Amino acid sequence: MNILVARKVKKTYGKRNLQQEVLKGIDLEVEKGEFVGIMGPSGSGKTTLLNVLCSIDKVSEGFVEINGQKLQRMKERALANFRRKELGFIFQDYNLLDTLTVKENILLPISISKMSRAAVEARFKELVTVLGIDDIISKYPNEISGGEKQRTSAARALITNPSMVFADEPTGALDSKSATSLLSNLAHINQEKQATIMMVTHDAVAASFCSRVLFLKDGQIYTELYKGEKSRNEFFQQILNTQSVLGGDGYDA
Amino acid sequence: MAMTLSQLVLRSMKKNIKHYYLYFFALIFSVTLYFSFITLQHNPTVLQATEESERAPAGFGAATYLLYFIVLFFVLYANHLFMKRRSKEIGLYQLIGMTKSLIVRLIALENIILFVCAVLIGMGVGFVSSRLFAMILLKVLEQDVVVSMSFSIEALQSTALVFGILLVIILIQTAFLIHRTSLLSLFNAAKQADERVKRFSWIQMIIGAFGLVLIIYGYYKSSSLFTMDNTQDLFINMVIILATTIGGTFLVFRFSVAFLMNIIRLGKKGYLNLYDVVAVTPIMHRMKGDAKSLTLITVLTAVSLAITTLSYIAYYSTGTQARIVSPTDLVVYDEKGEAFLAALDEKQIPYEMHAFDIRELSFNFKDLIAVDSTGSPFATREGFVTVLKLSEVQQMYPEYRLSRNEAIIMNYVGTLAKLLPIEAGITASFWTENQTYEFKIKDVEKEMIVGGALSSVESPILIVADEVFKELPMQSSIFLKRQYLVELDESYVEVATTLYDEMGLSEIVVNIVGDNGGSGSFEYNQKTYEQARLNLILAVGTDIFTAAFLGLTFLLATGSILYFKQMSEADQELSSYTILRKIGFSERDLLKGIYLKQLFNFGVPLVIGLLHSYFTVKSGWFLFGSELVVPMIITMSLYIFMYAVFATLSVQYYKRVIKQAL
Repeated sequence: MNILVARKVKKTYGKRNLQQEVLKGIDLEVEKGEFVGIMGPSGSGKTTLLNVLCSIDKVSEGFVEINGQKLQRMKERALANFRRKELGFIFQDYNLLDTLTVKENILLPISISKMSRAAVEARFKELVTVLGIDDIISKYPNEISGGEKQRTSAARALITNPSMVFADEPTGALDSKSATSLLSNLAHINQEKQATIMMVTHDAVAASFCSRVLFLKDGQIYTELYKGEKSRNEFFQQILNTQSVLGGDGYDA
Repeated sequence: MAMTLSQLVLRSMKKNIKHYYLYFFALIFSVTLYFSFITLQHNPTVLQATEESERAPAGFGAATYLLYFIVLFFVLYANHLFMKRRSKEIGLYQLIGMTKSLIVRLIALENIILFVCAVLIGMGVGFVSSRLFAMILLKVLEQDVVVSMSFSIEALQSTALVFGILLVIILIQTAFLIHRTSLLSLFNAAKQADERVKRFSWIQMIIGAFGLVLIIYGYYKSSSLFTMDNTQDLFINMVIILATTIGGTFLVFRFSVAFLMNIIRLGKKGYLNLYDVVAVTPIMHRMKGDAKSLTLITVLTAVSLAITTLSYIAYYSTGTQARIVSPTDLVVYDEKGEAFLAALDEKQIPYEMHAFDIRELSFNFKDLIAVDSTGSPFATREGFVTVLKLSEVQQMYPEYRLSRNEAIIMNYVGTLAKLLPIEAGITASFWTENQTYEFKIKDVEKEMIVGGALSSVESPILIVADEVFKELPMQSSIFLKRQYLVELDESYVEVATTLYDEMGLSEIVVNIVGDNGGSGSFEYNQKTYEQARLNLILAVGTDIFTAAFLGLTFLLATGSILYFKQMSEADQELSSYTILRKIGFSERDLLKGIYLKQLFNFGVPLVIGLLHSYFTVKSGWFLFGSELVVPMIITMSLYIFMYAVFATLSVQYYKRVIKQAL
């Protein structure tokens, strides 16, 4: 079952004369339970694509459908509501509120929903245990490490049990150990909970945790790789090869 | 360098105009107020109108100093705030290799341009508005004259001098601030958050609770400040009240607010709603840095509000205060009075008249008053009380009833009545040379029944039953035998007053018998009601005008500062709003939190300021006038309204920030 469908998605910036086409007609489907990676050189439109797919930005042409709902037809309020209920987000710079504790940050998305307290508490306990942050839940973000911040951010993304999680360079600011731990956590949740995840990354190691990796070049999908039955290491090699074919220039790593 | 300094200055000013315009307007406004206030004092029409008032020049002088301090405080604060907002920009200048002295020159040049423009514009506006203010002043003084426009060289010089000095101070402040900023300010954002977010300890909570106790204690103390039994310690008590309320206010802002919010927050066990996220938690964490300025704003608000209210009370009460001098339009006495009434008849001026026979009784003040008055000079003395007949009082107040052993107290109002209250129900003895009477005081009425000649110290007047009255002899100390209260139709007041003055009715010789039996006499000037009222208005009119003028300046200064603070707070919170909108909160959701936050930011200083001034006014208002509720409600409503305007402005600013956040 397709959870996300994008058809002929175009995105242009700027006014008439200085118009720049960042996305040049992208077709894309994501099935439930997939862990999709998006890679590409800098300027290829990775983050723009993610923003358009997750409703933070609007497409110029084409449409995006999540769970059968066309995003273009929704008003600002409905979109915000949709984001809160159906989507989860993990960003490179964590995007945690300084003034809230870890627990308060994680529970933020359910603050105006009508979920039962007991169910949320159970889910919260489960998530922080899986992500290994159960001992820091009453600390403030400035008291914890980058890896812990990102796991907090991941817990916040997952607390509503969203249809889909979008991650934009989640490992970008992490050291390799924290990055690996976060990614294995995500992969674990993806497999156990059938959570659909889409992740933008420029890191081949991070991408090797995905079940499918899309390569973007100049605003178009250049190719895609499926992990299939391959081991993570084999998949990693395959990703590196594709990257070198795409051209090593301009990688922002 | 390709660009000259002045080009750079102009360019950066153009870029910063969005931040500047408020500072600029604030500056213009300060100049306008200052300039027009000085011009007003030198306006010939105003000089003429206030000639008779001895207090006007002194009042204006004191107000000018106060005004200068408000302006100084305000401009320094605004400059500090704007420099803080530009710390990143200054860091950037340093990063590209500018020396600090060059940056100082750059900012100094900006400030000089800004000041010169503001002073010029402000003086232009001030020249026009000074006429408006002069018109308001003369309206307050109830003088019907055309106000001439006059350009005052003194005002020009004074304004130029004052704002010149202010500019120098600002430049020194700026140089100091720039000198202190290091390149690290570029990366300040993260550091600020580190300093801001701290855990709340139990000790802080205890101090927070203590702050509330201090304020309540101060209020409690103030409510019994002006009672007779502690006049000795008046000064000490005032110091205690000031210290507890101001100290308490600081502790409330510094600890109590966060303390209360933290309790609520802890109770939620992590399940915050959006209000908590957008309003409560940022306020909690900001309180540490904001406590000092909020305390200052609150205390200043309270002081200016109290001053405005008290002077308005004095002004508002002139009508009732004049009733003490003359309960009706005119009061006349004895044979001269009868001659006056005959003259009115002759001129066919219609009037309503109530005549009263006057007697007196000896009494001891101590027996009448309800509070313990040991040590008060008024209390121990024996004296005479003027006595009126019930049936004659019933002409004006037909509902009064008395039996033989009862009496009513009238005319007892004002300061003395507040300090030494007489309560109904008390029984006291009164006597003549050969007889003693015991009266139960049935009622204490606030109405006036005698002219000022009979009650020069607002002393009580006793009403007794006719049968008792008949028994009272005409004593030697009585200087007036019969009083006539005259009421006129409004259109005849003027003619009658002229006649009153022509016949010399205002000069009344009062014979007094001293405690030691000696006697003497003095002349009492019995004014008509209207004369008394205008006299009072001239005395307090300039006060209310100056107080209101200062109050307005205070209000605008504090309101703008709160608004400036909110602007920079909104800019700092921008990233939070971006996060919240990304994870799925709509603009409308966030705005609900913003409303709450503004309610708090403007509401709490306002409410605490209102409470402070309420208790200040309550403690001593009767020294200023006789009406409390109406003047207080009016001034307080004005303050609330102005604060609401500023709160709305900052909500608008937040709206823009939130809209741009995604």
